[in-house]
Amino acid sequence: MQMWIIPSCEGARRSSAAGSGLRRAWRGLGFAVLGSAAALLICDPALAAEDQALGRYLALECSSCHQLSGASVGGIPSIVGWPEAQFVAVLDAYRRKEREGQVMQAVAARLSRAEMVALAAYFGALSPKP
Amino acid sequence: MKPTRRDLIIGAGTIAASGALGVPAVLGQAKARIVVIGGGAGGATAAKYIARDGHGAIAVTLVEENETYQSCFHSNLYIGGFKNYDQIVHRYDAPTAAYGITLVRQRAARIDRDRKEVVLGDGSRLPYDRLVLSPGIDLKYDSVPGWSQAAEEVMPHGWKPGRQTRLIREKLDAVPDGGTIVMIAPPNPYRCPPGPYERASMFAHILTSTGRTKARVVILDPKDSFSKQGVFMPDWEKRYGAMIEWLSPRVHDGIKSVDPASGTVVTGFETYENCAFVNVIPAQMAGAIAREAGLAPAGGYCAIDPATMKSTADPAIFVLGDACNAGDMPKSAFSANNQAKIVAMVACSELAGGPAFPARYFNTCWSLVGPDDAIKVGGRYEPKDGRIAATETFISQPGESDEVRRQTQAENLAWYEAICADMFT
Repeated sequence: MQMWIIPSCEGARRSSAAGSGLRRAWRGLGFAVLGSAAALLICDPALAAEDQALGRYLALECSSCHQLSGASVGGIPSIVGWPEAQFVAVLDAYRRKEREGQVMQAVAARLSRAEMVALAAYFGALSPKP
Repeated sequence: MKPTRRDLIIGAGTIAASGALGVPAVLGQAKARIVVIGGGAGGATAAKYIARDGHGAIAVTLVEENETYQSCFHSNLYIGGFKNYDQIVHRYDAPTAAYGITLVRQRAARIDRDRKEVVLGDGSRLPYDRLVLSPGIDLKYDSVPGWSQAAEEVMPHGWKPGRQTRLIREKLDAVPDGGTIVMIAPPNPYRCPPGPYERASMFAHILTSTGRTKARVVILDPKDSFSKQGVFMPDWEKRYGAMIEWLSPRVHDGIKSVDPASGTVVTGFETYENCAFVNVIPAQMAGAIAREAGLAPAGGYCAIDPATMKSTADPAIFVLGDACNAGDMPKSAFSANNQAKIVAMVACSELAGGPAFPARYFNTCWSLVGPDDAIKVGGRYEPKDGRIAATETFISQPGESDEVRRQTQAENLAWYEAICADMFT
């Protein structure tokens, strides 16, 4: 079973995965168990910065098709300001090819959970521009 | 000096969190200088993201001769009547103002690699710490016997935007019913692999929708196969009947010569006389400034390090877009825009203490076959064995439903809006 949750921690919004994110996650301040998943609460601002940088880097690829302003002319949806859990769930469905879409399946094919979470945090923190 | 600044920033330990970290004033040193040559999908994107993510530590100068950018991508939609010309014209004002990019409206004449300077058309020089070179392609005017630059008004290529694109549409509009259009397709590698075949589709769409159903479009190809062939060809037959005829070298036996004065095209097998319109899309190579700087072999494209997009001949120069050899990545606006982001990441890492990540690439090419009927091809790429290699690929399938094709065209239109926003806002 995969363990992953999306916790918040005062300004340093951070989440991690049971996979590659775990190593860094252990450097955080502690963890809690929520239901059947382990919740890793990270409040180290340097770690948060590291994930922010990862999200910002990975997001560079997305903005070729998804406008950072949140504008959309149909055909390709806005991905700005989504709840992080939803963002990760959708990406993961593409990765597992349970959601249709050739482009997004290829985009998600090699994304790790930690990378999806970093992307979710980056786009989740953006607000649509009027 | 720069390592000092970089060490200092890294020493702060919170690179990304520090946001607006600029050059520490106490050092009193100049900003690192990046010059970007070419304001296309590669250069405009690189300039924007280096300026954005350099956090004030990098001075970005974009050298672009033209006042506006006219996109080659979607110029076929103009030819097919799906876009007005002004919908493919863009300005540099917004990104240069928003990100503090210095725009130099001049031709970049040559690169002085020894002195790390770009020599401009007026003889002035721009020194650089890193150069981002995105000059696009040059046409090989001698690649089709009988054709030349002097003949490009009569037998237009339409492979660089502007007057040539409009000329293609004008010639198309003048084709009489029963007339023959001959397109000479280019050999690999060239800008926009599916472009000639999307264009042939647009020719057929305009001809059929204006009642010129007896006209025909003959594609003489120097290649044995072409991008998305397995989808284009059944679609052509379904949508346009026998109007589009594609001939491989095994059928036409070589393109021997063209005569612009009489509108004649001679192949090993047949002579096409009194063509209504001949569209010569010649062989291509990296832009002259890259070749003359010794960054590309004669008549070829620039070799790059797939992890950084840096020239293998000069580590101070990034080469991206159509001018480089990007391995499995096609020469597309999507590829150039995507590669520019790797360039920005690497440049900001080296010059502004930004974070470094492994390079990953992505591309998609959409092509319009008819109204609300588009197909696509694309993939994900990573550095492997010294080149950019595909790790995942996808392609539209023949016989897809009308709804899938409609969605693909909606994607195509939305992508255009997004990539232009990515470059110009």
